[in-house]
Order: sequence, then structure tokens, then C-alpha cells
Amino acid sequence: MKRALQRWVVGAALRLVHAALVELQELDPYIANELARLPAGMSYAIHTGHGCPSLYVQWDGERLHRLPGLDSPRCELRMKALPLSFRLFTGQMGLAQGYAQHVFTMAGEVADVMRLARLVNHTEAYLFPPFITRRFLSVMPQLASGPLRLYARLLRGLITARY
Amino acid sequence: MTPAYFEYQNAVKLLCGQNALDRIPDELRHLGAARPLLLSDAVLAKIGVAAQVSEVMQAEGCPPAELYTDIPVDSSLEVVNRIARLYREKACDAVVAVGGGSVIDTAKGVRLVLSQGKDDILSLSGVENLNRGRHIPFIVVPTTAGTGSECTGVAVIRNDEQGVKMEFLSPFVEPDVAVLDVRMTLRLPARATAATGMDALVHAIEACTCLQGNPLSYAHGTSAIRLITRHLEECVRHGSHADARLAMALAATQAGIAFSNSMVGAVHAIGHALGGVCHVAHAEAMSILLPHVMRCNLSHSAGAYAELLPYVLGWEAAAALPAAERAEALICAVERLSRTLHELTGLPLRLRDAGVQESDLPRVAAGAVNDGALIVNPRMLSEQEVLGILRQAY
Repeated sequence: MKRALQRWVVGAALRLVHAALVELQELDPYIANELARLPAGMSYAIHTGHGCPSLYVQWDGERLHRLPGLDSPRCELRMKALPLSFRLFTGQMGLAQGYAQHVFTMAGEVADVMRLARLVNHTEAYLFPPFITRRFLSVMPQLASGPLRLYARLLRGLITARY
Repeated sequence: MTPAYFEYQNAVKLLCGQNALDRIPDELRHLGAARPLLLSDAVLAKIGVAAQVSEVMQAEGCPPAELYTDIPVDSSLEVVNRIARLYREKACDAVVAVGGGSVIDTAKGVRLVLSQGKDDILSLSGVENLNRGRHIPFIVVPTTAGTGSECTGVAVIRNDEQGVKMEFLSPFVEPDVAVLDVRMTLRLPARATAATGMDALVHAIEACTCLQGNPLSYAHGTSAIRLITRHLEECVRHGSHADARLAMALAATQAGIAFSNSMVGAVHAIGHALGGVCHVAHAEAMSILLPHVMRCNLSHSAGAYAELLPYVLGWEAAAALPAAERAEALICAVERLSRTLHELTGLPLRLRDAGVQESDLPRVAAGAVNDGALIVNPRMLSEQEVLGILRQAY
């Protein structure tokens, strides 16, 4: 039961992160700039554990698309176990702590993980309240918009099946 | 404080001290090897260091099946692939690397390609993503006391096409055996001794203060700091001082074990980018950047720096200082050591003296923020903050 709940939460968190990135591309110049610096065709796969949800995204030079699967992602992160993914995606640790604690393995170039880390760190500063974010971000990023505005757009996006 | 979780691995057998070199053939036999490929560089071949190892191997009945000494400074992925082809052509069954960081990391790359049965090392880039693969016996003989690469699970190799240094992180790049014999470092010039010693100091300090730190690597790191601050200057002033040379060799190895399990930080991230963009020698970049990065990290690392001070100044001198002044005192001690080494050897103190053009700094900053070492730096650094460090160090 606990594992099923963790799977559901992690799956929802993956979709939320992708949706937030799509919205923040329009709301926050930092995210827009980081995305624009990705090489066109850049793709990420994130696996959260055995038999657990995965996220596949690809940057086409203009938008970050979520895909049902990818044959050979340029950067593939594989979490070592679902409970670790759960901690990572529920604000109990950040990507830096995840890296330091050997939470995931990575196939591809380290530089691509660093690009993803900057995007995710900035996005999490919107998604989590500051008292949580401060636990895993050593420096709080400057946000260009209010988190409530992001959540409102996410709600609208979910209703209109934008993601 | 014990971290919430940590991993620690060091499976390298260390041969350290008198006649260590002479034991290589016996180690090769234990590893089941009879046709080792000996790797080194042109300088070591010219001054007879590579031949010294080759003769030892010959004398004890395990001569190299092939000798390759064309490994350049800042070796590349292409060199790795070329040597792997040579290994297969000559039907070798082990790798013996004699050299500094470039030779050892190249050899690690070769071993990785061979053990994974691949042709191109680029296909193996990643973090902890590889299985053990086929065992290729691998012995390393460092000829500098700095990189610590003889005991680390990382290889840093230049990607010429992208102009960046790439990191290959896997416990399976660790050698089977590391050989510390002072005969290998006695002829190291004073400036190279100074630069590589500072590289080891950076490994130790970053390993003790970064996000991935753990008690076991801390023990190695602090031991390395103590050895370096006591023996580096002696090695530079009197290169033939065997005891000091051995102490420095051990310090570099301990610093290597420490950072292999803790990672490093912004000094290395920026230094890798400086190497990739401006071709600054790694050890010199480390020496120049260390105090500047420490000052930048001070807001997040003051406590950790203060705790390192006794290993540099001694317990009594450190205790005599007010607690609030100890972190700054550590940075000042590092700056004093850099200045002394500069006066003794001409080791550069500024990036401009290391051949860096100011116009290159933005490209270096852009590269540094994509380097994996930055992720465990005590504080997140933006591209602008990295540029600020570079301008201060310029």
C-alpha cells in the first residue's frame, strides 16, 4: 500500500515538474534562458524505480515535450529505488543531495545533468514553500513571478490538457 | 556530523615505500597477467623514468609486451581509443601506467573501454552507470604527488571536439594496485612539485568541506592536509629529501581517496573549464583558484574551514585564535603557502600569469557551471558568481 502510494506521488510529481517547466518558460526569464541554451533535440529520461513511473522529455528548440517513451535519450537518470525517488520528488532532498547520496545513476554527459539540475532547482523554488526549499537549496533563487500565479496556470493547463 | 547517507569505496592495494617498484612483476602475476602494456609520456621516457619501471619488470621476468609513451598533457578521448586498439592488436593482458594525472586518467579510460568491450570511450560517459565488465589487471605508478588518481574512481579526459574536460565516474576505473616509490618523484622539478602539491591540497580541502563529505574521507583528507602543510615546502626546497617525498606521495594518495568518496567542488569545476578553454595546467589552475573560491564559499563553510585550521597550523596555534577568526586564518595560511611557492618556483598567483586572456573568462564561467564538481560545492554558484571569482583571480 505504502509503495503504491509512493508510486502515485512520484508519478504525479514527475508530471508536475514537466508542466511547471512548460509554464515557467513563459513566466520566468531564467527558465526560458536555460531552456533556450539546451541543444535542440536534447532529451532526458528519468526512471524512478523498478516498475515505477518514468518521465521522458525532449526539447525541440522551442518547447519541452513530454513523450510516452524514448529509444535512446541523451541523458538518462535512473533512481536506485522508489523510496529514494519519493524523497527526491517530495522536497525531502534536492538534486545536489541526491547526487551526493548516490540516489541515482546517470548515462550520458555530466554537463546535461547540471543543466537539468539548474532547471529543477529553480522550478522547485516555485513548487515548494520557502521553508522546505531552504532545506535543500543553499541559495534561494530570485523568482520572477509569484508561485500562486504558476499554480493557477498549472490548474488551467491541467483542465485544458496542455501537457 | 554523520551525513544522512554516504558511500565509501577504496579497493586499491597500496604498495608504499622502499622497493615498492620492484614488487610490480609479482603483483602482475597475482593478477594473472603476463603481457602488460606499459603507458607513459614522452618526458618520462626521455628522462628514463619509464625505462626504470620497464627494467624492473624485465628483471623480475614480466617485461612489458608493448610500450606506449605518446600520451600528451591533457590527454583526449581519441588517445584513449587509439591505445585501446593497440592493446587489442598486441594481445596485451594488463595495463601499467607510469606518469602523472594525464597518463593515469588515460590508462583508466583505456581500461574502461577494454573492460566494457567497446571501441569508443564516449559511449561510456556517465555516473555509476557501468557494470564491472571484464577484469583488466591495472597497476598505476604515479610520478607526481598531486592528482591522487592512483586511488580514485574518476577519470578526467579532454573532449577535443567540444573543448571540455569530461568526467567518467565509476568505481570500476579504480586501479588494482598503486605503487608509491620515491624513486618516481625525486626528479620532479620544483615548480611541478609545488603545483601538484597544491592540487593535492585542493583535493583534501574540497573533500572535507563539500556536500558529499563523510567521516571516512574526512579522516583521509585531514591527514593529507597535515602532511602537505608540513612537507610540501621541504620537497620544493630540497627535491632529493626522500622522507618528504614519500610523505607527499602518501598525502596525494590520501587526498585522492578522500575526494574519490566525497567529490570536490568549485575549484575543480572552474579549473576543469580553464583547462578546457584556456589550456591552463590543471594543478596551476587549482593553486590560483583555491583561496578565491574559499572566500566565496566562506558564508557556507566557515565552520568547516575553522575545523581544518589545526591540521594546518597545529592544535596550539589554532586554539590560540578566537573561533570566529579561524576560517579566515585558514584562507590566509593557504595564501601564504601559495606566495611561498610562487617565490620559490614562480608558480603563478594570478590567471593572467598562467596565460589566460580576460576575454576568455565568460566562456570559462559558462563551462564551469556545467561541470559535475559544482553540484556538491557547499553553495550553489551562478554563472555570474563564477565569473566574479574568475575576475578576482585574474
